[in-house]
Amino acid sequence: MSAEPRADVLVIGSGASGAAICKRLSDHGAKVVCLEQGDWIDRARLPKAHVDWEVRGRRHWAANPNVRRWPSDYPVGSEGEDPIDVYMYNAVGGSQVGFAGNYWRFAPSDFKVKTLDGVGVDWPLTYEELAPYYTINEAEIGLAGLAGDPCGPEREPLPNPPAPLGRPGELLVDAYEKLGWYWWPTEQSITTQAYRGRPACDNRGWCTFGCPQGSLSTADLTYWPGALKNGVELRTNARVREIILGSDGRAVGARYYDQDGVIREAHAAVVVVACGGLGTPRLLKMSASPAHPDGLANSSGLVGKNLMVHVQSFATGQFEQPVDGWRGTWGGTVSTRQFYETDAERDYVRGFIMSGCPGWSPLNLALQIAPWGSGHHAAFNERLNHEISMYMCGEDLPEESNRVELDWDHLDAFGMPGLITHHALHENSKRLGKDMIAHGRQVLEAAGAMSVRDFGLAPIWGWHLLGTARMGTDPKTSVTDAFNQAHDVPNLFIADSSSMPTSGGVNPSHTIQALALRCADHIWEKRRDW
Amino acid sequence: MAYDRKQEGGHKVAQANRPDYRLEVGRAEVPVGEPRAFAVLDAARAATLTAWVATLIPADGDRPDAGALGAAEYIDATVSKVPSLRPALLTALDLVERIAQTKAHKAFAECSTDERELLLREFQRDGDADSFQMISDFTYEAYYGHPDVLASLEATTGWKGLGPMKGGPMKPFDPSLLARVKALPPRWRKV
Repeated sequence: MSAEPRADVLVIGSGASGAAICKRLSDHGAKVVCLEQGDWIDRARLPKAHVDWEVRGRRHWAANPNVRRWPSDYPVGSEGEDPIDVYMYNAVGGSQVGFAGNYWRFAPSDFKVKTLDGVGVDWPLTYEELAPYYTINEAEIGLAGLAGDPCGPEREPLPNPPAPLGRPGELLVDAYEKLGWYWWPTEQSITTQAYRGRPACDNRGWCTFGCPQGSLSTADLTYWPGALKNGVELRTNARVREIILGSDGRAVGARYYDQDGVIREAHAAVVVVACGGLGTPRLLKMSASPAHPDGLANSSGLVGKNLMVHVQSFATGQFEQPVDGWRGTWGGTVSTRQFYETDAERDYVRGFIMSGCPGWSPLNLALQIAPWGSGHHAAFNERLNHEISMYMCGEDLPEESNRVELDWDHLDAFGMPGLITHHALHENSKRLGKDMIAHGRQVLEAAGAMSVRDFGLAPIWGWHLLGTARMGTDPKTSVTDAFNQAHDVPNLFIADSSSMPTSGGVNPSHTIQALALRCADHIWEKRRDW
Repeated sequence: MAYDRKQEGGHKVAQANRPDYRLEVGRAEVPVGEPRAFAVLDAARAATLTAWVATLIPADGDRPDAGALGAAEYIDATVSKVPSLRPALLTALDLVERIAQTKAHKAFAECSTDERELLLREFQRDGDADSFQMISDFTYEAYYGHPDVLASLEATTGWKGLGPMKGGPMKPFDPSLLARVKALPPRWRKV
């Protein structure tokens, strides 16, 4: 076994949060080492770099690790009344390498869920405390959008202008105007104009299949170039087996397998776990020891619990006229927060957003609606380029019964355990979801759709895996404090989607990265305590 | 890899003799539209599969049928890379051939399009629905991933099949559209 010289900070995970922490700490001057169990994405193999991009998206680029089975992946099983179809990537940039780029700030009320609505928990910090880090993150990634949305607090001007609406967006704006609802151009992590050496988006669309242009702001393109320039040492194909504790109970580093399966150690004064909503509880539980028999930093018993995934669905409307659906950003150019805040007139608390997207791409559409045989082409032709979809995302409340557990019956390539997720929709989520879908259909009908179909609430799309090591003020009911510092281990930080006490009703990447930047600043400010 | 798992219907491990093609297929990277010969199927079974995929997606205007676009060879290449899927494919081909001989008294590939459609509907209903779905899914992939099909979509649907590869300029967002919304009162809770 070989050990390395001690770094200032060891970051485990190079995704949205890990990348932001590495860049921020190295900007300050810290010596940082990062362990990433995956590798760099080979951009020549991005699906969208090939004509058969849809097919590649179902095979080697499949978002479900049980299908994709990259060497860095581990098995993830799904249990429960409403099992999760897990979407995640283990690579430099983490799951952002397969995201659509919807990039929201939380609302102030998202940080006071218990106080305002009597459900979930309050965050140990406020919107105002996080807002400066949202602003830093927006500059780092080159956020596209427009300040002034009356559905949120006042904002500074954003770095890049909104993405073009396209015909789908224009039809939806007409619908919102007809309904008299609030709407706003969607904020997206896409460089809509040349920005910090990255090119302007050229509207190829279907962003989740990879952006060969490099305009989709994934962490491998935003934070990592600067972090590497600062001297951060990124070790890829480094699969961490456990966090190492010293005799004083402090973390001293991590033990990992390199790509040849050889055990190694990395040592640092501070250890940050940033492996995401599944990977983080997996590593903490794998790091169990006599002093921490239920897993590291788990005296609360909450590591792996309170898994949240958002209440999500699509409604798709069919239109008589073509909608030019083959181009434009896919994550939705125009959105509404009309139903985001709790309304006493409704039979649920909390709320949701809706974002309008182009319809479905040829293969995806054919698999959905085109029967085989003589009726195939007629069914296909009347819908391709004649559909608009509404993506809907609502708040999923934390429940301890929704959880992840180690699965020692199914191992990864180096003998480390897989995971099993357990999930059932909360009754509030079911009511919210029903209302959310009804309003999605309402918008499409107002836009002139001849017919609307929706996807219901099953399967549960595990695109956002949150809450499994949540922050809070009380060590009995949380895993870390408000600065992501583990209650149980003073120099251990947990900073990623697992930190979120509640889910909000929006895509979480922006909040994950803002929290990570805030955590990095705290680590730096407290460096004399290392 | 060290695991095989079905995602649908909960936490189950696929049976050794019947792996789930939806999971297994992640291992098979098979570029669509590349010329290739059959590697797994013999000539007779290759003819059956070619006729099968042509029945699933027949020709229409400028669009050839799936058989003419190499969908059968694509399926063959997939099961070549994932041998665990071969039994399901071979068994399905042999079964549909037996049904054809029994019902139509000729080889499946020699049946008319209407006859083949009837036979496949019987196979789908009474035969092996999962194998049928596998062949159907792979056929759709081979068809809608093919550059010739994508190029042909514009004439009938307006969809620029190669547009997602090339992109192009679009009209910028017009902020004046927000005039009404900007005049609305704030819609968020101050805490």
